Amino acid sequence: MATTLYWAQCGSCGGDSMAWLCLESPDVVELLDLLDIEVLWHPSLSNQSARDHLALLGSIAANEQPLDILVVEGAVLRGPGGTGMFDTFDGRPKKDLIGELARRARHVVAAGTCASFGGASGEAEVEASGLQFVREEQGGFLGPAFRSGSGRPVVNLPGCPVHPQVLAGTLAALCQGEELALGPYQAPATWYGMLVHQGCVRNEYHEYRVEDADFGTRGCMFFHLGCRGPLAFGPCNKLLWNRRSSKTRVGVPCMGCTMPDFPRDHPLFDTPAMADIPLELPAGVDRAHYLAYKGMAAAAAPDRLLQRQTRL
Amino acid sequence: MAHVVQIGVPLNRVEGDLDLRVELTDGVVTEAWCSGTMYRGFERMMVGRDALDGLVITPRICGMCTTAHLTAAVTALEHLGGITPPPDALRLRNVALMVEDLQNDLRHGFLMYAGDLANPRWSAEPFYPEAQRRFAPFAGETVIEVLRETKHVLEVVAILGGQWPHSSFMVPGGVVSAPGSAELVQCRLLVHAFRQWYEQRILGCSLERWQDVRSADDLDAWLDESPHHGDGAIGFWLRCARAIGLDRLGAGHGNYLSYGGFPVPDDSAVRGLGGGSSFIPAGFASGDHVRALDEASIAEDIASSWYDDGPEPRHPSQGKTKPYATGHEGARYSWAKAPRYAGLSAETGPLAEMVMGANPLITDLLAASGPSALTRQLARLVRPAVLLPAIETWLAELRGDARCYERPELPVEGEGRGLVAAARGALGHWIRVAEGRLTAYQIITPTGWHAGPRDAGGQRGYTEEALIGTPVADPDNPVELGHVVRSFDHCMVCTVHLVRSGQRDRTIRFGLAP
Repeated sequence: MATTLYWAQCGSCGGDSMAWLCLESPDVVELLDLLDIEVLWHPSLSNQSARDHLALLGSIAANEQPLDILVVEGAVLRGPGGTGMFDTFDGRPKKDLIGELARRARHVVAAGTCASFGGASGEAEVEASGLQFVREEQGGFLGPAFRSGSGRPVVNLPGCPVHPQVLAGTLAALCQGEELALGPYQAPATWYGMLVHQGCVRNEYHEYRVEDADFGTRGCMFFHLGCRGPLAFGPCNKLLWNRRSSKTRVGVPCMGCTMPDFPRDHPLFDTPAMADIPLELPAGVDRAHYLAYKGMAAAAAPDRLLQRQTRL
Repeated sequence: MAHVVQIGVPLNRVEGDLDLRVELTDGVVTEAWCSGTMYRGFERMMVGRDALDGLVITPRICGMCTTAHLTAAVTALEHLGGITPPPDALRLRNVALMVEDLQNDLRHGFLMYAGDLANPRWSAEPFYPEAQRRFAPFAGETVIEVLRETKHVLEVVAILGGQWPHSSFMVPGGVVSAPGSAELVQCRLLVHAFRQWYEQRILGCSLERWQDVRSADDLDAWLDESPHHGDGAIGFWLRCARAIGLDRLGAGHGNYLSYGGFPVPDDSAVRGLGGGSSFIPAGFASGDHVRALDEASIAEDIASSWYDDGPEPRHPSQGKTKPYATGHEGARYSWAKAPRYAGLSAETGPLAEMVMGANPLITDLLAASGPSALTRQLARLVRPAVLLPAIETWLAELRGDARCYERPELPVEGEGRGLVAAARGALGHWIRVAEGRLTAYQIITPTGWHAGPRDAGGQRGYTEEALIGTPVADPDNPVELGHVVRSFDHCMVCTVHLVRSGQRDRTIRFGLAP
């Protein structure tokens, strides 16, 4: 029997859907076919009439139509004052619909940072919430104890947007009943147990602490330009984007868009630092050792890096 | 006695949220209300942030026009600082934004718009089986091809900017890196492959042949000239659209707005469509009378919107966005504001751009039968034929490792605006900076122009006006409304209301789980 999927959008830009359409090898249509997924509804693509969509929601609510996978894109907007009226569906708070669907679904997947942690929508005014987190704090819209029909918590796939291959791999694991080990923040370790830094083509510049403080050259962006590649978990430089590249490869600092505090409050193109050393060090690194190591590494930097001759 | 009903309609495939409510008199729309149902608070979130942060955060407003928001954000900062980026940086920005437009025009046209032709409403039409074969979601032949080709051409943006959607590769003074010659070759190959596919499968003829279609008569002759023309995706769509009368639906006010877009470098062989310094000319037109754009004539009215910004319409540089959340009652009915140009509701996007650029075919179609959903949608579907030659020329003019960034002096205080041509039309960012921090950020999107509500004078929003006169055969499946509303390429997902005789007769009951 086909696996049924309902895709819901809340406080979102639609970017996770747009990235999803860029899936390669297999593409979206091939993947749905391979996994025998029946898309009950996708807001950007489905062409059922209004009447049929309402009937579908009714039959899910009545437990007549099984819902295997609920994909949520976007933050749940709870404002103003907890009413949810900043985002309505059929005149009612959208959050109520999401809550109901989540309780009917066998698996719940948060596609993107907004659905996972609240993300770019902003917590203060619109009271944006991830499904089971608000930023770093566990709980979120569904509460810390929430488990979907399969017994799992929400599977978080952060990223702004989520990488389409990560979503595809997650759907494949859920459809095929494979174990999907979740790491910190309920994100699958397969893709989030690594750093954006891994595979960055500027790594040698980073290694020898050859830093840039301005755009347009080849040095490392961690020390001055706000790059969070050495801290941010995610496969951006392993899987690459659109088959081609990544932000750090072309010289856009990693903004840590997979992280629960994205977008952080500090100026995004600046690295908070003390005595010229970033306050946030690469994940798990001790400050004293890092100072010594980077001092020696900078002294050992070869001319070809200092003169930015090594190409990216 | 006239039979009057009100219905509310869930129109999805428009990216976002919108409630549409219409009044039908004897099966024809006699009144319409269009309300944005979501408030995300982006503008207020920007206040207090570093001036550059808009480059990261505003692209996240829209997953489809992400590069357009980045362009507007960087243009506003450069306007603030009086900064002119190197010519090759402009070429790279233009190429990336135009590639995003290619993506938009094809995905909207065949994933989000044409799917309605496969709606059971048209099952008695001879074209119906073929429409299903081509346009059915996740399965249609054209749908599958568009998915494949749009994602491939978007690789150009990834090569230049790292990823699509949501990069921040444009910065004041240029772009963050200069592609090498190998990367440029890749871009040219990707664009070439897209062009071939567009010519063979979508347009059904070469771009050069298409340029000779300069009038309504030419269009008829072109359709009949060769089976390739009539059976290409556009030819087939056009025949369907005429069969169901889309050329008689969705007129609107007949006002057109363009901020202009794609600055043409001085040393480029590309020529602006209106002969000016930007490829897409700026202007405002009422009917066929085109005037120069006067930026000071833009204002946002909030008489029908849930904001408490003060009684008078405000220019966006003076705008506020103060949510005033009441229920769904009274005169206010939308989270969208009502942008006006010199007090007038206006449409923007490909049709408006072609009015400004005096495109012969579109101008003739408008003169012959006035604006319609068909002409609006045709303008979007053939826009790639206008953009592709410019993309190719700019890529050919670029050399590897060119100078694409010059460190700017960004003032810590002042005002700036970024007015650009996004895929869906005129997009503006207005910013104010003090001590290096943003103190105001106001944005008017193309969808704001199209989907905004009534103003204080009672003038309908553009989509509301366009819906008047639309016949609806089956209020339970009002696909005709979708044909009109989606011709604006809204960035919204419309939601459901079904109201009759003032009473809602259908609700979905979701109790909380026991």
